Amino acid sequence: MLAYTLKRLTYIAVILVVMSMLIFWATQVMPGDVAQMIVGQFATDDQIRAVRSRLHLDDPIHVQYLRWASGLLQGDLGVSMMMDRPIGPLIRDAILRSAVLAGISIVFVAVVGIWLGVYSAVRRGSKTDQAISIASYFFISVPEFFWAIVVILVFAGMLGWFPATGYAAMSEGFWTWLQHIILPVATLVSGLVAHVSRLTRSSMIETMQSQYVTAARAKGLPENVVIRRHALRNALVPTITVLAIDVGLLMGGIVVVETVFSYPGLGRLLIFAIEQKDIPVVQAGILSVTAVYALANLAADLLYALFNPRIRYGDSLAR
Amino acid sequence: MATRWPASLVVGASVFGAVVIAALLGPHIAPFPYDGMDIMARFLPPDATHWLGTDEFGRDVLSRLLYGGRLSLLMGIGATLVSLVAGVPLGLAAGYYGGRVDETIMRAIDLVISVPPILMGILILSMTPPNPWKTALAVGIIYVPIMVRLTRGVTLELASEEFVLAARARGERAWYILGAEILPNAWPPIIVESALRVTFAIMLGAALSFLGLGVHPPASDWGLMIAESRPFIDSAPWVALAPGCVLCVTVIAVNLMGDGLREILDPRLKRGRG
Amino acid sequence: MSEAVLSVAQLSVAYPAGDGWLRALDDVSFEVGAGRALGVVGESGSGKSTTALAVLGLLAPEAHIAGGDIRFKGESLFALPDAERRALRGNRISIVFQDPFASLNPSIPVGRQIAEPLVLHKGLSDASAGAEVRRLLAEVGIANPLQVALAYPHQLSGGMKQRALIATALACSPELLVLDEPTTALDVTIEAQILDLLEKLRHDRGLSILYITHNLGVVARICDDVCVLYAGRVVETGTTQSVLRKPRHPYTKGLLASLPRVAERKQRLAPIPGRFPDLAAPPPGCIFHPRCHFAVERCASEAQTLTDDAHAVRCWRADELADAAWQAPAEHADVVTERAVAIQGTLPLVKVVGLSKEFRLGGMFNSSRVQAVDGVTLQVAPGEVLGLVGESGCGKSTLGRMLIGLIEPSAGTIGIAGGSPQNNRRAAQIIFQNPDSSLNPRKTVEAIVGRPLVLHGLASGGDLRTRVVELLEMVRLSPAYLSRYPHQLSGGEKQRVGIARAIATSPKFIVCDEAVSALDVSVQAYVLNVLADLRDRLNVAYLFISHDLSVIAHIADRVAVMYRGAIVEEGAVDEVLGPPFHPYTEALLSAIPDVERASRFQRIRLRGDAVEQDRSVRGCRFQHRCPRKIGAICENETPPVIEPSPGHRIACHIPLGNLDTTLVAGNAL
Repeated sequence: MLAYTLKRLTYIAVILVVMSMLIFWATQVMPGDVAQMIVGQFATDDQIRAVRSRLHLDDPIHVQYLRWASGLLQGDLGVSMMMDRPIGPLIRDAILRSAVLAGISIVFVAVVGIWLGVYSAVRRGSKTDQAISIASYFFISVPEFFWAIVVILVFAGMLGWFPATGYAAMSEGFWTWLQHIILPVATLVSGLVAHVSRLTRSSMIETMQSQYVTAARAKGLPENVVIRRHALRNALVPTITVLAIDVGLLMGGIVVVETVFSYPGLGRLLIFAIEQKDIPVVQAGILSVTAVYALANLAADLLYALFNPRIRYGDSLAR
Repeated sequence: MATRWPASLVVGASVFGAVVIAALLGPHIAPFPYDGMDIMARFLPPDATHWLGTDEFGRDVLSRLLYGGRLSLLMGIGATLVSLVAGVPLGLAAGYYGGRVDETIMRAIDLVISVPPILMGILILSMTPPNPWKTALAVGIIYVPIMVRLTRGVTLELASEEFVLAARARGERAWYILGAEILPNAWPPIIVESALRVTFAIMLGAALSFLGLGVHPPASDWGLMIAESRPFIDSAPWVALAPGCVLCVTVIAVNLMGDGLREILDPRLKRGRG
Repeated sequence: MSEAVLSVAQLSVAYPAGDGWLRALDDVSFEVGAGRALGVVGESGSGKSTTALAVLGLLAPEAHIAGGDIRFKGESLFALPDAERRALRGNRISIVFQDPFASLNPSIPVGRQIAEPLVLHKGLSDASAGAEVRRLLAEVGIANPLQVALAYPHQLSGGMKQRALIATALACSPELLVLDEPTTALDVTIEAQILDLLEKLRHDRGLSILYITHNLGVVARICDDVCVLYAGRVVETGTTQSVLRKPRHPYTKGLLASLPRVAERKQRLAPIPGRFPDLAAPPPGCIFHPRCHFAVERCASEAQTLTDDAHAVRCWRADELADAAWQAPAEHADVVTERAVAIQGTLPLVKVVGLSKEFRLGGMFNSSRVQAVDGVTLQVAPGEVLGLVGESGCGKSTLGRMLIGLIEPSAGTIGIAGGSPQNNRRAAQIIFQNPDSSLNPRKTVEAIVGRPLVLHGLASGGDLRTRVVELLEMVRLSPAYLSRYPHQLSGGEKQRVGIARAIATSPKFIVCDEAVSALDVSVQAYVLNVLADLRDRLNVAYLFISHDLSVIAHIADRVAVMYRGAIVEEGAVDEVLGPPFHPYTEALLSAIPDVERASRFQRIRLRGDAVEQDRSVRGCRFQHRCPRKIGAICENETPPVIEPSPGHRIACHIPLGNLDTTLVAGNAL
């Protein structure tokens, strides 16, 4: 298990190196001249040249890459061109704020999604099951950005319960913080809860039809024990894989939601940086998202192993 | 064999068909030009002339919706085609040949997968000026790994089926085995997945446009229309709601279609005595 | 007769199918007497598993009980409220299912699963339940109960799992034990162990048993009474002795006549022709009449009822047919019984020398190597049938696939008609095991059978269809099948299409890889006859791979016995099936549950299971399970090949004289 984790971490490192090259190369061909943008439209050629040489923009691309990469390894992510601030703290704060959003959402998705899925699988064919099915169908089909706008329209505009956009730190008071985070979370989780509950439902139904569940019933166990002890745990194994995929979807959602709600997280920073052609921020941003994503996938795989004794205990007892 | 078409397929296909036809005929049936501004007619609520109202430049929402549909559907269907054309052959090769071919393809796929989908889109689209074909291509590339994995999985399963072994035993060439023995049996799950991909691609394409990475004004797709109407959501909600609802209805229709297809194509339901 | 523990009366169960109902059980009645074992026998679709589930009250929710009653100790089970019904399950009535690999929850330690009924029904504490579990595991013959109780299911072999499941079923000392094909998923030597265990438990505990199976041999070993099911109807019931010795119903007669037997291997098989009826629209009159060659007009019009004598039968002609034997269908009459072809002396068609195959297994956390085939040398003469017998995982399929070029060998050479398998595709073909997987579901029978002809340029245009029709004729399918798709065929028909495809290129050599193993007995007999017929008409040689020694004995000229990648004994059928034996061959033979009950062989049981417990190839590979291991020499030295008679080879350290003598003792006649 330890060896496996190490192997995976090495692999993640390799992926990050390859990605860093790719990102670096891709951002270099981004349209627009950075120097031009920094000094403004009416700058002289001399001014532009000065900026170019200050930022080493005239060096060959591999030299630029190596300079950037060695900086990365020393924890130096560079300096934002537009904001003229070191990127490290900028990204760290953004990641933390995004992580709060993502963390709350993924916990909510896991708990509510799994619960709904199990509930409708057990009451398969009932009115509740049908209602949950139809609702999840609907929520899966509504894109986050549209959902965000509708939520703002209803809860911020018409009802005035929550602020439409913005962010409040926990230090400004728990209630204020909660008010600001409730709509983004609601937007993020709507589709994912539906996704997880649908998959949990089908995996649970499949498990309930397995031979060992019949065998458990044949022992005379009451149905709730059969479900809790025998079906649930095995049905959750595929759900964990799905949750890992959903982390990717969640990240896509976060970019959109942060933009719509003006939530100062990594996604909004990234979009802002792209709009402003702030290349160092774009590079560092994409690389950190990739790293977080890879680690989330590793975590999901380890969790999967935890739920699956076949992987935990390999050796056979047969003599 | 008398097949009873599932209701979900009938409903989904007719709604989606209607949307596609409306989008195709868009330029001919739209009551106004999609970029025809009229300062005097800003933010008109829906009425007899402007069935879905007008936006902040006085442009007819219905007309823009019809034009925008072309781009949104183009991105959805185009992206899915891209992922099919690139993903299915790669998946077939990886699944059938295994070994080093499989290893190479899957490592490359892992690399693409290690980037969250929307970032991949951002990465591709931020490189050069946006246009809808490129969005379709970008979204398509994002979904290539999923198609490869799916096709590879199905191929692996089919490659160990005895009828494929029999074909190898009589000395068939690889292209015949892949094309005539494996592919015809691999289509059902691929088609079902493609339907699902169309919905995801429409939504992702719209999301990218929404973020300003897709089409550029005054051209319009549904995602961009929603983005443009965002500042006026309180005063003129119809400008956002119209494209949003059409988007949702389209996605639901394609989802229904996918479910219906699954029902009639799922080999597990079909196997059994005759 | 004392009061029955279980009595099923006029039970009818239906499942919704399309617009109507599928009658899975129709008017089924039987009784399990106290301390007796009743075997419910039937082929697939007979409704035997539905019966088991109905007794336990575990029918799927969509199943509809259309009539009848099930009484347990005189009390109607259908009248009981759910809670009381549940209190019986796993307590006074318990069940062991067919597939031990699927019946244990993969994520819970085995001991805790066995303890569940004890805690639930007997109110035992976890600690005392744990002690009881270890006692039960020891009772069912597990050598290391403590370790096994703590293990997860995937760490146990199939045999150990089934023992654990039997322990679960016995935990609360049930009054009725239902066994639903408990040995079908297991290898024959493991099956023999489990049957021994069941016999012992039955006598130690005085269990009443309802034993569901398709295997008449198992019934003969375990059961006092037998009840034969066909298409959801009881066609015959009585004591095992009388039903198997003097069957009264044509179906039972046909079933017995379809059974290949080691003891009477030269006898012709007489299969039951036709197809299993559609239970959603059953034929009028006697349900069996469309397949019955005794049927007369009255059989098609008059529904049959079960007589109420001790040996009951559902056939109005039973008495007049008392002495009539089941006849092979007319088209099987021309099958040659005795081989006339002289095989000795001709040049070998297939020549294999030192063939090996090593597989690499990649796991998530580790990878390992498995030597699937290890230095096999064998020959097949033109027109000869070489039977290859062995248990699952012994490498017999890998060997077969190497011979037709589907798998690259790691070492060794293969010569087929003077060439390699790769450049001799037409000459060497294969017939597979699984009828559901061997035909491309998207192609018609014509396309499937015609493709080899097109590929090798053997026929085209109008000629093609003529040739395909000819090929179908050879496997006894009419031209009406040309346009059908595989899902419109029955299992036996699919298998025959597979055979037609294999013989299309007029091969000289065909690998039959478990070609009849997935088929019901009556269908299996039909396909075996087809294969025997083709062998003689086309002078084609077979490598006939099977785990079933009775089938091999029936069709093969020579037999090779394979164990863990190597051939341990090889020779003419009579030589291999008679002493002197390799100890493994001897164990295989003695493990076959024989309908005649009076087995010619002493009961020889192997220890443990054939899993790769020790990957080192030192010494004899059979040493770990060998009941006749003679000492250190078996562990350290590769056994020598001894040749009791020309062509009969045994790889064993035991001196020939000893191999010859010890066996016949105690069971002559």
